[in-house]
Amino acid sequence: MSKRYKSKKILVKTEYKFLAILMILMAAGLFFLPEKIDNEGTNPEEFVLNTLKSDRYISTDQLAKRIIDQDPTLLLIDTRSEEEYNAFTLPNAINVPLEKLLEEDYVSYIDQDSYDVVLFSNDNYHADQAWKIGNRKGFKSVYVLKGGLNEWFNTIISPKYPAENMPETAFKLYDFRKAAGMYFGVGAPKSDTKKATPKKVITVKKKKKRVAEGGC
Amino acid sequence: MGPLIPNGLIPIEWNFVIALLIGLAFGYIMEASGFSSSRKIIGVFYGYDFAVIKLFFTTAIVSAIGLYYMDYLGWVDISQLYVHPTYLWPAIVGGVFMGLGFMFGGYCPGTSLCAIGIGKIDALAFAVGIMIGVFIFSESFGLLEPFFNGSNYGHITMMDTFGISPYWIILIFTVIAVIVFYFSDFIRKRVKKVFY
Repeated sequence: MSKRYKSKKILVKTEYKFLAILMILMAAGLFFLPEKIDNEGTNPEEFVLNTLKSDRYISTDQLAKRIIDQDPTLLLIDTRSEEEYNAFTLPNAINVPLEKLLEEDYVSYIDQDSYDVVLFSNDNYHADQAWKIGNRKGFKSVYVLKGGLNEWFNTIISPKYPAENMPETAFKLYDFRKAAGMYFGVGAPKSDTKKATPKKVITVKKKKKRVAEGGC
Repeated sequence: MGPLIPNGLIPIEWNFVIALLIGLAFGYIMEASGFSSSRKIIGVFYGYDFAVIKLFFTTAIVSAIGLYYMDYLGWVDISQLYVHPTYLWPAIVGGVFMGLGFMFGGYCPGTSLCAIGIGKIDALAFAVGIMIGVFIFSESFGLLEPFFNGSNYGHITMMDTFGISPYWIILIFTVIAVIVFYFSDFIRKRVKKVFY
């Protein structure tokens, strides 16, 4: 205890005055904090690099082959609206409308590591948007069907016959597409085409962040 | 990022180890700063020592301000912190009983155990008193239960009740704390000194 403090002239020590002012300033400083930005997920630089990578796309031929091979790791997600989904879609696809992507019932289809998720829409515009949201959130193994259902129709359902001067691979590809088209029911009578049933996917709902329990 | 254990940054198995370490540090600091003496708490009521009030106000404002800065920096998620449920009337009655216990006994339950650690007989009597109190309360719980569980307002905070920003509450509380510090020193200077 200093002599100054002992004498009754000084009520509060300078250090304490300083601490009191510091505390009030710190409390007032909270008002000047800029609004909090949620930076969770992939950081912007990485995100831009990811969008520039072409391996986020899967071509219609690759997809057709995987469906025909009955690849069990494939999970098709239709990002179009429900009416469009009910009208027509790819076999075993699940409907997750873009605007409902992050809702609790739907997000667990995309936010998981056990399947290769392939997003598609009429072209690849909406599917791309869904992919971007997913990538920003840090979801893994999500792909986009290049060209979407339009491209699917142009290549698999009604492929163009290659011109005569084209290489042999083009003809092979045409044969593959023609065969794949048959697999998907081109030329079959209408009664034979089965309605696409959504694939049964058991999703693991991510645990919600627990709130700390207990107290004094 | 935080809180560390619920978010899995520290495995949950470490819970008790960390609790033990914090407990040891808490006990040590409490003893070292003289809280194992019953006069320290009694001093608040007689006006010669306001260390307890200063301690609690300082803890509250430092942690409140610190937590909100840490929330801004993303170190702690405020919404994940535990908010003790408010049982309004039981809390008031319990607080009155606890205050009376402080006055009669000169110990907080925590400081009494701390004082037993350094061999104080009165603290031992206080701790036995706590046990008797707990026993009586437990045995009469059937009678007290409607009151005990009544007026539960859930996990509410002052910002929910008054509908104002937490920053205002913190600022007002800080100013109140500083005023209380000033007046407690003001009173202490006018009261005869007690040396212990």
